[in-house]
Amino acid sequence: MYRSQHLAVKYFAAAITLFGVMTLTGLMSAYYYLNPEFLFGILPFNIAKILHIDTMVIWLLMGFIASIYWFLPEELGREPAGIRAAEILFYVFCTAVAVVAVVFVFVQYGGSNETALWFINQGRKYVEAPRWAAIGIVVVMVVFAYNVIGTTLAARKTTGIITVLMVDLVPLVVLYLIAFPALSNMSEDLFWWWWLVHLWVEATWEVLIGCIMALALMQLLGTSRRIVEAWLYIEVALVLGTGILGLGHHYFWIGTPDYWLTIGGFFSALEPLPLLGMVVHAVYDAGAKHMRATNRPALYWMMAEAFGNFIGGGVWGFMITLPQVNLYAHGTQWTVSHGHFAFWGAYACGIIAVIYLVLQKTRNLTYVDGLLWRWSFAALNVGLLGMIGALLVSGFAQAFVERAIGGSTLQAFIAGQENAWFIEGMVFRFLLGIVFAAGYVVLVWDLLALGRRVPAVAATSAAE
Amino acid sequence: MTEFGLLQTGLLLGLYVLLAGTWGLLYAVARLWSTAIFRGAAAVVYGLHGLTALAIIVRTPLGMGWKCLIVASSLAFLVVPPIAWRFLQHIHENESLEHDRKSSQHSGRVVARL
Amino acid sequence: MHFNDPAFWRAGAISTIVVMSVVLIMLTIDSLAAISPGGSHVPPYTVINQHIEYKFVAERGIEVPVIDGDQPLFGKALDADTATALIGQGKMVIQSRACIDCHTFFGNGAYYAPDLTKAWLDPAWEGWQAITGADTREGAMVKFLMDPEQYRTWTRTMPNLAITEAEARATVAYLKWVAAVDTNGFPPNFARIQTNP
Repeated sequence: MYRSQHLAVKYFAAAITLFGVMTLTGLMSAYYYLNPEFLFGILPFNIAKILHIDTMVIWLLMGFIASIYWFLPEELGREPAGIRAAEILFYVFCTAVAVVAVVFVFVQYGGSNETALWFINQGRKYVEAPRWAAIGIVVVMVVFAYNVIGTTLAARKTTGIITVLMVDLVPLVVLYLIAFPALSNMSEDLFWWWWLVHLWVEATWEVLIGCIMALALMQLLGTSRRIVEAWLYIEVALVLGTGILGLGHHYFWIGTPDYWLTIGGFFSALEPLPLLGMVVHAVYDAGAKHMRATNRPALYWMMAEAFGNFIGGGVWGFMITLPQVNLYAHGTQWTVSHGHFAFWGAYACGIIAVIYLVLQKTRNLTYVDGLLWRWSFAALNVGLLGMIGALLVSGFAQAFVERAIGGSTLQAFIAGQENAWFIEGMVFRFLLGIVFAAGYVVLVWDLLALGRRVPAVAATSAAE
Repeated sequence: MTEFGLLQTGLLLGLYVLLAGTWGLLYAVARLWSTAIFRGAAAVVYGLHGLTALAIIVRTPLGMGWKCLIVASSLAFLVVPPIAWRFLQHIHENESLEHDRKSSQHSGRVVARL
Repeated sequence: MHFNDPAFWRAGAISTIVVMSVVLIMLTIDSLAAISPGGSHVPPYTVINQHIEYKFVAERGIEVPVIDGDQPLFGKALDADTATALIGQGKMVIQSRACIDCHTFFGNGAYYAPDLTKAWLDPAWEGWQAITGADTREGAMVKFLMDPEQYRTWTRTMPNLAITEAEARATVAYLKWVAAVDTNGFPPNFARIQTNP
């Protein structure tokens, strides 16, 4: 195994750990809605939420980085350049995340000054990490970009997939610089902030996961390079063709000109089309192998990726993307329902699939199957579907009561939050969140135990 | 938009895309297994998708431009699965014809000399 | 035959991205002008010296902020530089306390606490004036921000975030400025009861 592949395993372990923190803080955040006295005066809601959303971003980023560290040396036939720096930075990264989290929990906030932004909390959603840590993230990403680009230079060759990845890494890193400024003007702040958030999760991250899935498909199904490359270029063209101006669907209400309602609405309405293509592709691939591959969980998680991406991003997104509906749905639990579903389908499922592929190699398994992965697959997906369903109900109630009827005053907000359907949704969201958490525990169990009970796995594969 | 119109519009739009996705799924499965039942089901689902599009046009307060977009999107949803399937078949057939399968491990195909 | 060649699709991807990016950059340049203070959609910071309303405008079919007359905050009109500094401090308060992780601004943020886009115009402040014994709306808002736990109105309480009086005043100024931004009608029907089916 290459050194970067050992590093990949470490990054996956860190990613899965943060996935657990995300799940725990998600349960906490959900519980505040049911018991507003929960940790009152000790840990305010916003800190729990910050931990929840920031660990989500970081666990997925770590999953992407890990996936590339895993596939890169085999793609280019050599150890990635600068691997020593990357190995050191892994520990620096994990330590920084821990320090930032501890400060969030125990210090929480400072005064309205630059010192607070540098050392405690920057207070902009998803990028709350203090500036010192944001610099650290830039360093990690720049070294990561060097690991990729430097290796192609040293090898004096590249592949189609790696070229797409390299080109994608440039906006990925540059966009993150938007995490630094503190602009007085909220419209301008949000304008640029959406360049970062949207062009990460609906553009550069889509390309990144596309590259990773291309590499994974070659390994899982033995699909030829030319096919995955052609498909990757088509996917990149369609996703970015709709997603770049689809950025406009965040520019309806922040003080921007109203031509964004037409442009943003139009392009984001087209976004489901490439996702439909991915569904068809997923069925084709599944059929090619009759839903059997040497790695069953990897295949199933990749199917979950294709379908989750379409339904969570495409269907749920389409409900709220047209400005006529968005005017009422905006800033409600309806958005939360979409966000959870889309992130799960677009990214989380794909990373989990790759982890199973990696474990097949590191644990030397010819065939990967078993009972535990099925239980975790079921619990995580049922839990997630239950959560987003419950959030949809709450979101409908909130849009209905608070926005459409009440006009979004404080009283209207309270009326929405106290609506019986809203509350039921919050209760079920919490309960299904527990199911999801149970699925996470079983996932970790399976990842730790996989291949370490060789006789059982061999017996299962023999029975198949 | 009234509060009920809001929920109705949102739900119709979501159903519209969900049925489009289901049509795509069933189409692909029908091509995979060549069974009449899935072909029939795919057609029925697309029909339902069309009815949903019609409901959006007739029953929602969206403007004319947006309704045209819905119609155009329905046509796009109709052709995306067959085009995608045919493309996938085509490039895979060409692969086996040219005996071009390589393993993923040591296949750094040179795209550019650096 | 070129459909088999990834290079064909690569060319398609590159041209699509270039075209879309160029359009995005052009629209960004235009939008930045509109969203700068004093631009078409965003008022100058000195709007905090004026009276702000939110009224339905038939030509656009939405509510828009209407700025008319003088209504200086805390009884004192501020010049442009002072207003800018005050707004800047208000934004620092909002960031340092991570307000956007409980509340929303223009509907962006977290959904545990109310949207603050039109908070300056919320009818609830009349009641708060009585509760806090303040003479003005802004006075009531300052008192609330400095000790929200003392002025609980609901089961979900805003925690005390050690906001000083100066910080509270800056935050109130910020909320007044935010309320004057033209958000293309968000939130809809603010403080009006829906009568139109």
